[in-house]
Amino acid sequence: MAFPLPRGITPTEIAFLAEMETVTVVPRQRLEGLELLGGPLEPLVPPRRASLPLWLALLLKRQRRANIMPPPWLHPEALSLLLEIESQHQDYKNAFSPPPRLPGQPSVRDYQDGVMPTARPQYTRDGQKYYPAPPFLPQNVAQTTFSPTEVPPLPFHWVEVGNMLLDAASDDLVDPDQVRRLLKDLREVRMAKMRSGVDVMDAAAMGGGGVALTGVGAMEIGEERGFLTGVVDGLRKIGASKEQARREQMAEQRANGGYDGTQDEEEEDYMEF
Amino acid sequence: MDIDDILASVDRGAGASPESTALDHQQLTRFWVAERAVSEVLPWPAPLMERVMDRVRMQIETIEDLASSSGDTGTPTNATHNPNLNLRLSILQTDLARTQYIIRSLLRQRLAKLTKHSMHYLVQLASRSKSPFSQSQSQSQSQNPNMMPEDSVPDISAVDNVSPLSEQESSFVHAHQTLLAGHYGGSFMGSFPRTLRRLDDNAGGTSMVQGPETKEVVFARCLGVEVPVFVGGEDGEEEVGVTMRMGDVWVVRWEGVRRAWERGEVELL
Repeated sequence: MAFPLPRGITPTEIAFLAEMETVTVVPRQRLEGLELLGGPLEPLVPPRRASLPLWLALLLKRQRRANIMPPPWLHPEALSLLLEIESQHQDYKNAFSPPPRLPGQPSVRDYQDGVMPTARPQYTRDGQKYYPAPPFLPQNVAQTTFSPTEVPPLPFHWVEVGNMLLDAASDDLVDPDQVRRLLKDLREVRMAKMRSGVDVMDAAAMGGGGVALTGVGAMEIGEERGFLTGVVDGLRKIGASKEQARREQMAEQRANGGYDGTQDEEEEDYMEF
Repeated sequence: MDIDDILASVDRGAGASPESTALDHQQLTRFWVAERAVSEVLPWPAPLMERVMDRVRMQIETIEDLASSSGDTGTPTNATHNPNLNLRLSILQTDLARTQYIIRSLLRQRLAKLTKHSMHYLVQLASRSKSPFSQSQSQSQSQNPNMMPEDSVPDISAVDNVSPLSEQESSFVHAHQTLLAGHYGGSFMGSFPRTLRRLDDNAGGTSMVQGPETKEVVFARCLGVEVPVFVGGEDGEEEVGVTMRMGDVWVVRWEGVRRAWERGEVELL
């Protein structure tokens, strides 16, 4: 009919989104600045580095007009550290490793020290709040300074960016074969976590409940979307009468003035995995 | 007040600044992902779409100008003068095609939702301007011995506020439903008893108009500091379930985060 695709963006569309990520390139030829619909493009002057959307970087790379600087996480060392965290670390037995921080979001350690996040929205021309998020955050640009203690986190579009760079720009990466192997291992470890999480899916089937997937990648959502939404919708339909009864009971309690807030227990006990 | 605020205030006032181009593009992309992720039609962002469409139109003109100037590069002087012309053209065209793809996919998705639940949206629109006069009119219609399915299609010509649809979408959905009702009438409903010919029958307490399911789950990322997930949907109940913190990704019901999405504090994935 008008649109044959299922609800939720499909893996091809996710790859399309990932191509909007910004990467760092070293141009091999000059190109004057351009006004694109996705925003202005800075002039390319070799050998000065420039930040470009990935689709453009790949276009230039295929024509040998630029080299792509690999993002800090796409490096055998960083990836093997990440793999170790994902598979060995106690805190992440059932969770994904933490994603890159949004602007204003404190690190996990600062959070525990009581540093509160400061979300600073931009305003759109219609006066709405706008918080930037991937793919429009510089999560894949090359960094000049490395902090030796901190492992670069896996960005939201790691599967897509990693594979696209391996396909088109493997000569720009450090040890591409090793990178490919590590990416595959990471994917398998994380996929197993995603699967084991199906056990707690009924938390999302209740009104107001939810299941945390913090740190998940875009493509990992895309792969599991159909299955997960199907399971949760099935569970919701099975539990619909139970939920209805519970809501009626609560409405009754409230009407009697006996609302003491303890009956929320079931909702509060969500599970993270 | 810092530089971001100053930029933001300039951004809102001035015309097409480069920042607002980038911001509009990001907003369009996010809106497209959200529209693809939920089952109902989201409110049409008219000002945003107008700006984007204007820019697309201008970009097409720019490309045509460039292409025609490359057309008369028969002379070698011109070619050396502008060696990157083909590259620039292909970049501009790729960029244009990407934006057009998003717009097309967005519109087709909305059309698919509209045709699936056309009666639901028509009834929703018509219920806004329900005057006693039109109420009595529809009453008298059901007494009409020549009642046909078309007559139960709500008339929305008097409705000013067509949110969540755009003007074109509302006229489309009305024309679509009228055609459909005419077809039903011609093919099988015409032989029904006249009391059974309405398309918005709610006899027995069950409405036959099906709406989108807002209890379906979505993948959402929390962008604000903290966002509570509401239990009820839009019935005004302020019961709070779990709380999402900044940067978290959750699988939650769409109705629970809908209001936070409208405030821009939640992004759908």
